Amino acid sequence: MARATLEQRQPTIVEALRRIRHGAGTYNGIWSWVATVDHKRIGVMYGLTAFAFFLMGGIEAMLLRLQLTTPNGDVLSASQYNQAFTMHGTTMIFLVVMPLSAAFFNLLIPLMIGARDVAFPRLNAFSYWVFLAGGLFMNFSFLTGGAPAAGWFGYANLTSSAFSPGHGVDYWLLGLQILGIASMASAFNFLVTILNMRAPGLSLFRMPLFVWMTLVTSFLIIFAFPVITVALFELMFDRLFGANFFNPIAGGTPLLWQQMFWLFAHPEVYILILPAMGIVSEILPTFSRKPLFGYPFVVFSGIAIGFMSWGVWAHHMYTTGLGSVANAAFGISTILISVPTGIKIFNWLGTLWGGAINLKTPLYFAVGFISMFIVGGLTGVMHSMVPSDYQQQDTYFVVAHLHQVLLGGSIFGLFAGIYYWFPKFTGRLLHEGWGKLHFWLMFIGFNVTFQPMMILGLLGMPRRIYTYPEGLGWDLWNMVATLGAFLIALSILIFMYNVVISLRRKERAGADPWDGRTLEWSIPSPPPAYNFAEIPTVQARDDFWHQKYAEDAQGRPLPILAGGALQREGELQGAVGGHRTIHMPSPSYFPLIAALGFPLIGFGLIYDPALVAVGALVLLVGLFAWALEPTAE
Amino acid sequence: MAARVDLHLGVEGLYLTGRLTGWAIAVWQSESGKFMADRKTYLLRLVVAAALLSFLLLLVACSTDTPQNTFDAKGDVARTQRDIFNYALWPAVAILIIVEGLLVFALFRFRQKRGQGLPSQVHGNTRLEIAWTIAPAILLFVLTVPMIAAIVEVGRDPKPDALPVRVIGHQWFWEFQYTGPEFSDAQGKPLTIIGVGGAPAELHIPVGREIAVSLESADVIHSFWVPKLAGKLDAIPGEESRMWMNATEAGTYSGQCAEFCGLGHAEMRLTVVAESEEEFQAWAEGQLAAQAGSGEASLARQGE
Repeated sequence: MARATLEQRQPTIVEALRRIRHGAGTYNGIWSWVATVDHKRIGVMYGLTAFAFFLMGGIEAMLLRLQLTTPNGDVLSASQYNQAFTMHGTTMIFLVVMPLSAAFFNLLIPLMIGARDVAFPRLNAFSYWVFLAGGLFMNFSFLTGGAPAAGWFGYANLTSSAFSPGHGVDYWLLGLQILGIASMASAFNFLVTILNMRAPGLSLFRMPLFVWMTLVTSFLIIFAFPVITVALFELMFDRLFGANFFNPIAGGTPLLWQQMFWLFAHPEVYILILPAMGIVSEILPTFSRKPLFGYPFVVFSGIAIGFMSWGVWAHHMYTTGLGSVANAAFGISTILISVPTGIKIFNWLGTLWGGAINLKTPLYFAVGFISMFIVGGLTGVMHSMVPSDYQQQDTYFVVAHLHQVLLGGSIFGLFAGIYYWFPKFTGRLLHEGWGKLHFWLMFIGFNVTFQPMMILGLLGMPRRIYTYPEGLGWDLWNMVATLGAFLIALSILIFMYNVVISLRRKERAGADPWDGRTLEWSIPSPPPAYNFAEIPTVQARDDFWHQKYAEDAQGRPLPILAGGALQREGELQGAVGGHRTIHMPSPSYFPLIAALGFPLIGFGLIYDPALVAVGALVLLVGLFAWALEPTAE
Repeated sequence: MAARVDLHLGVEGLYLTGRLTGWAIAVWQSESGKFMADRKTYLLRLVVAAALLSFLLLLVACSTDTPQNTFDAKGDVARTQRDIFNYALWPAVAILIIVEGLLVFALFRFRQKRGQGLPSQVHGNTRLEIAWTIAPAILLFVLTVPMIAAIVEVGRDPKPDALPVRVIGHQWFWEFQYTGPEFSDAQGKPLTIIGVGGAPAELHIPVGREIAVSLESADVIHSFWVPKLAGKLDAIPGEESRMWMNATEAGTYSGQCAEFCGLGHAEMRLTVVAESEEEFQAWAEGQLAAQAGSGEASLARQGE
């Protein structure tokens, strides 16, 4: 209604928007990426950006390790060290693992559910640009002379203006709010996409596990991010407008921050790990050549983890003096959450058991994930034991544990996904030899770096100390940990080399290089812009596998020799002859323009209120033009 | 002394891990068809595994002096906490070895063989699912019982004869106040010890007597931690946290702030000196006299 009125009243604006849209559609090269709303391109941009931040976070980690190699290290000052560990943690969580997971959501969800794009393609582009803007905004603080230095957990009241002067913490809290907008937009998008855009016949219990875990993760993001947003808002009011939420002198409570932060951050841990679990649950069946063991149990344990993740946050706060009853209650709930996690691990073992295991690089990383996640899970149970956690809290034992879960777990799982789906989106397989070298270096490097940290923690080394004196018995293990960190760094260089040489390979991967089970393998590599020439009708779980294999009288699988589905899809793709005949969402510049408003507002809040108005104007122009853009020609 | 505790631990753990490793190797060998019913080979492997593990543990225990070693408990609180750690450690190690062993075994045993067709397409097994849901739940429930007992013990009120000490965290030093009436100086101020100029503050305590710690912060959150005596407790501005601890042996125990509190966090160290009741009383009297002297001097300065 409003649009019709506007079109009558302001035909020139609408005509201008139509021209811009048409122009965006005709650009090639870089501009076609800037204006893209194609989920695959957005996924690639998410992945590349997250990997660039991964290198930054990695360099920060190497600086931390160099500083701690020997007692009384002098690589970094206390201030630089605090900035480095704050930005390392913030970067790896919000700018690496979350967006890398988002890259996989973008690349895979529409393909796995047989859709041509996500539910809201322009919102998807908006998510990416807001993420990029937030990440650059936060890292811009390095150039202004002081990055945030109060830890990724930003405990009040160390974050107050009195104890953290300068703008570092402002960049941190505003950057996190911007990133939160990106995460929320993307979570709503995938939630709606998964619930509404599945191909006919793809009921919930036929969905691939990765789609299930994306669904659970989206719910967790939608419920968890508002909590941190409230906490960040209060912190912002404390710092910028003189409020006293966390100021004990004026009657505020520093512990309020911890309650809200961990109520967000424990579900966040599962936001970081569930996508990797989904990836591993896709890879194991393909390379064992048999279906996922106990599919409904793996699904329900994922859902159970999602629910239970809301009842364990205070295990980060055992030492704040909550009292014996609260500590016992949260100790028990934390112990309980290891039951559904264990179910997943046992079912993965069951998937491998009795298979015909094809030991390719993706499986190496998937198994690396499982083996390291077992260690992370068991050390997690040990942390849940309240009395011994009074000793381990805030020591290197916790540093070891969280890296077993997030590096040995999430990052290994995400690398497994990169090796597995790389041929789908580039048309080329990553080189196996370099891939295995990457795996072994990273796996050995990981264990050499982080297992000594368990010993360091038990020998009483606290976290977040920029230096330590001699004579505490920590020298040897710190030296070993730094050596391991160099192995990890080397393995990442090998991975990058592998990507470069593999992209130049002549031989094509083909549509289905791994004999895959899910729908994305039924279309060409790389997929055309419209994904599916004809939206598939799904008959079963692992539908594509059942198109390739029939069963004999004893229930044993037999290949269908005629080439089956692949050939049919190939014919269809040929028949379509270019995507002009398929209705596709049109490209748009406005998600990017709207996203640019947020960092401007951020700079404005820090430096000059006038800039807030400019940022708000940019945001409004972007949103209105986006809303009024005429639909595709 | 650190070595002795860890050796005890090591022997206990080695027995278990050695048996399990030997068992895992035996299973692997029998499955891969190479197993010889040769007890000597089995024992040899067990010994090698045990030797490797004990070497590692000894390396931890003996390599250096470790003044903040949480295993080397010298107080009842730290001992309770260490015992809970060990109680959870060995089941965890056992599960680790079994599950990782099964994983590695599956990778070798079920590798695709040349010319092998597709394996049978097993979708699951409900009985197994129920088993591996309930079994861990029972095991974990068993863990919670001593855990709750230990929470109650560590979290109880100190005994009536406990020595009350007020601990105040500052950026970036510790302040100790002996708040008992017998430690007041002539002006009624409690005996106060402050760490100055890089030298960590020394908290003197009598061996055997419980210390009733009352924790506060003057600025941001800190955490009071003396690993050999007791796990940590946070000092939160605007709140008062309480804990008890004791030292069961005379000695000097080092500790440090365990909650990130800004630039000087790493240097916010402290020392606890546990000595006999007589030595402690003598030290306190000396300190009180010095404090009274400096108090009068400053009063005199104000009066001028």
